[in-house]
Amino acid sequence: MMTLRPTHALWLAALVGLALLPQIIAVKYYLHLSILALIWVIAAQGQNLIQGYTGYVSIVQAGFIGIGAYSTALMGIHYGLPVWLTILLAPLVTALFAVATGYPSLRVKGHYFAIVTLAFNLVIFIVLMNFTELTEGEAGITGIPRPGGSDGWLDWRDRETYYYFVLILAALMTGLAALIVRSRIGRILVAIRQNEDLVGAIGISAWKYKLFAFVTSAMYAGLAGAVYAHYQSFINPEIFGVAQSLDAILAVIIGGSGTIAGPVIGAFFVVFLPEYLRFADSFRLIIYGLVLVLATIFMPRGIVGVATGLAARIARRGK
Amino acid sequence: MKLLTMTTALALAGGAALAAEKTLDIGVSDALTGGAAVYGLPQANAVQMAAEEINAAGGITVGDDTYMLNVIAYDDKANPTEASNAVRKLLDRDGVRFILGFCCSGATGAVASFIANEDAVMLVGNAAERSITTREIPNLVRTRPPADYTGAAAGTFVAEKGHKRVAVLGALDVGFYASYVDAFEKELNAAGGEIITREAFGLRDRDMTPQLTKIREQDPDAILVVGYVEPAAFIYRQAVELGIDVPRYGFTSGSEEQFLRVATSEQMEGVWDLRPTELTLLSASENGIAYHANYTEKFGIAPSPSSPYAYDQTYALKDAIEAAGTVEDTAAVAAALRELPVPDEVVMQYLPVDGKMFDVNGQAYTSNGAFQWQSGNWVFVQDLPSDAAAYSAFLSTID
Amino acid sequence: MIEILQQIINGMAIGGVYVLIALGLTTVFGILGIAHFAHGSVSMFGGYLTFFLVSAQGLPLAAAIVIALATGFVLGLLIELLAYRPVRNASHINAFIVALGLTMMVEGLNLEFFGHEQVVIPTDFDRVFNLGGVTIPELRLYVILAAALLIAAMTLFVEKTKTGQAIRAVAENRDAAILMGVNVNTIPLVVFAISTMLGVCAGIMVGALFAIAPGIGEGLVIKGFAVLILGGLGSIPGAVIGGLVLGITEALAAGFLSSAYKDVIAFVVMITVLLVRPQGLMGKA
Repeated sequence: MMTLRPTHALWLAALVGLALLPQIIAVKYYLHLSILALIWVIAAQGQNLIQGYTGYVSIVQAGFIGIGAYSTALMGIHYGLPVWLTILLAPLVTALFAVATGYPSLRVKGHYFAIVTLAFNLVIFIVLMNFTELTEGEAGITGIPRPGGSDGWLDWRDRETYYYFVLILAALMTGLAALIVRSRIGRILVAIRQNEDLVGAIGISAWKYKLFAFVTSAMYAGLAGAVYAHYQSFINPEIFGVAQSLDAILAVIIGGSGTIAGPVIGAFFVVFLPEYLRFADSFRLIIYGLVLVLATIFMPRGIVGVATGLAARIARRGK
Repeated sequence: MKLLTMTTALALAGGAALAAEKTLDIGVSDALTGGAAVYGLPQANAVQMAAEEINAAGGITVGDDTYMLNVIAYDDKANPTEASNAVRKLLDRDGVRFILGFCCSGATGAVASFIANEDAVMLVGNAAERSITTREIPNLVRTRPPADYTGAAAGTFVAEKGHKRVAVLGALDVGFYASYVDAFEKELNAAGGEIITREAFGLRDRDMTPQLTKIREQDPDAILVVGYVEPAAFIYRQAVELGIDVPRYGFTSGSEEQFLRVATSEQMEGVWDLRPTELTLLSASENGIAYHANYTEKFGIAPSPSSPYAYDQTYALKDAIEAAGTVEDTAAVAAALRELPVPDEVVMQYLPVDGKMFDVNGQAYTSNGAFQWQSGNWVFVQDLPSDAAAYSAFLSTID
Repeated sequence: MIEILQQIINGMAIGGVYVLIALGLTTVFGILGIAHFAHGSVSMFGGYLTFFLVSAQGLPLAAAIVIALATGFVLGLLIELLAYRPVRNASHINAFIVALGLTMMVEGLNLEFFGHEQVVIPTDFDRVFNLGGVTIPELRLYVILAAALLIAAMTLFVEKTKTGQAIRAVAENRDAAILMGVNVNTIPLVVFAISTMLGVCAGIMVGALFAIAPGIGEGLVIKGFAVLILGGLGSIPGAVIGGLVLGITEALAAGFLSSAYKDVIAFVVMITVLLVRPQGLMGKA
């Protein structure tokens, strides 16, 4: 175990930095990107639970983000529910879908899982595109409202307000992820990653814990999707495809798989990197792919792994 | 480069008291890379070319000032999130107020959903999804007519050919293709015909034999193919291979070269394409012929048939700014667009409603044409029976 | 009746392609336990290369195919050596993430070299046969026959040759195979070379009969894995039966149920098999 005090200080510094961010940045465009990055933090924390801690690659995170986004929007439109309620319900709807997919695919060995989740992402995409009576298909749903009425004391139209809203959510969900992985459940998840047969041998039914990790990760995605939908006020199926699920995997790997700080760093990386490296899609694919391969081979613990390694080396030298 | 022009503009604005030459940044958000770049890149080029022409002819005159246009183009990859990012960047970082381009429906829908709250004017090009102009967004106009406007004209045309039982095979998961078929069906039904089956295919499907076999069993009078050219070419070929010999109508807007890559000219013979007339040299005006020549010379490649939608946006914007007499008051410019007569320089053949280029919904209408494949080429046969005023009234009833 | 027969013929061509893709995947999986996700994109590269040699270089089709196969052979060796061997002893999740990264790279390279527009490998086979109302284009017939031939060759190779027996031995029990003197360093190389060549064949077939375009390879590899799940991981007969079942199911689903949801129906079949018979149709329990 690392010593706790320096890490706590780092977390606090990061939180203060993020809280001050809207006051520092002059160009509101970067606030917009930061909001997107914080939404990705939520989705990536979920991805990390199943991928990083439990050791199962799920390729449906963007599909679940989509389910969250569509369910919050549709519940608002069809049942007139208030926004805060639909944002809370969206992860639960997503969880139902996750149980339905996770149950068959997690009963069998690991390799099926990635493929089945991928197929499920494709199915979600096809249904979102074709079930136009419900989803409006490719044209998408417009005019999704922001939380809060027009007369509230907070101006939700203001991007700064929404930034703090998402920041609080991202911090809470990161905290929740930390609690989960430090609990008994979390230790069993890590044990599953390290040796699933052994976990079974001591009488723990591993699939229940795997299902828990998968469903929880889906709920994170559902929340991220709901927050995204009310921020952008427009959704269509395009951004809930397999390519975005791969981005979620990338965020976890780059940041540091199986660490709490990893997805936070990875999410900002995934959102801001394309901004600074403006290139065509083909180059983006080549570079992302290369980064994935090299990172997996040479730094399997991501940026966090490299950083802690460096810190440890410096500490040793100091003594 | 951009910084330089900005500083020049600032220096000029500060230094010269009257008749200053200023720079007006206009933005383009379009698919510059990726699969949709076939639509987006020519649009961005067309805006650039129009801007240079306008500058060469003395720029935009507002009161005593003359503005030279500077185009800032960002790649939205036809992706909704990327498009909101691109437009946010144009608005927040670059301070642009006039945004053009927009080839593709998903990305356009994303921007259209928030543009009403912004101090900006949005001009949409090739994106055909109807809902973009049904919400009467005051600061948005579109040069391309919605797909169902064309679909209705096509339905009338096919009904007039005497076909009663039409089978549809289309990219029906794409909203504007489905709406084309809906409008087609309405006109066909009105003439006593019917659509006997609607079969769908996905973007990456190339084997359409299962759908075509089903259609063959139902013995239609004609088939209607709506979708992107790449899968559509396979439908025309495989229909022949399966021995389907009824007339084939389509809404694909593909070039000869694109079809010949997949099917032989014999397999294509007699196929109809029922679409907005757009830019075809066979039916082009003088402006169209000049546009084609200039574009080809400047970019070393022939312009895509839909690229003038963006070219025409630029001239509409110029006229609107001059009519409004301001580059600051975007609401006034948006209002002026709604009152604008069709500019002289445009390439497409617009059908004005009440003498105006854009109707109350901000929608423009072009003529629609029936093209037929005859020995290796698309041949313009006739105008489709299009009713812009009636459609405009219909569009106003949708919310 | 004619309609059903026609739909079965329709499904056999794409089914044959699925079988070839799945054969490559299943041998890699059987030997190395790797879900080689980049297989579809690599296959499409083979198709693109053939197109390039025929269309841009003017080579005859047969020569282009030979060069593409040779390139596939080398490419298979490189993929094993450079991408998968470094993570051989790490957990499977790492190998899978490497596979995802590799997929992105190959897709990106395909885009960079060959562009976004679809390409079709030109051939001279444009006759159409008509057997009592069931039509079959010449090219389609050749694709089905070629697939059958390759399946037979692969089966013979695995069953009858010494290398094939070594491959089977490693698939059955890796440790025992080492004890028996099988070289576990060369077997993965052989397997990747062969599976990539099979993939290149599939890519050429897709390119000639249909088209190659961005994303088609990923679509195919997903179908290939669906075949594996249907037929049973690592099973060659399973890949053959699973591939044909999937291809024909899709055609029948599009023809008789719903063309918009034909892929969904295919995946529902896959998930049902997973629930009822997790080891697949031909897999050992």
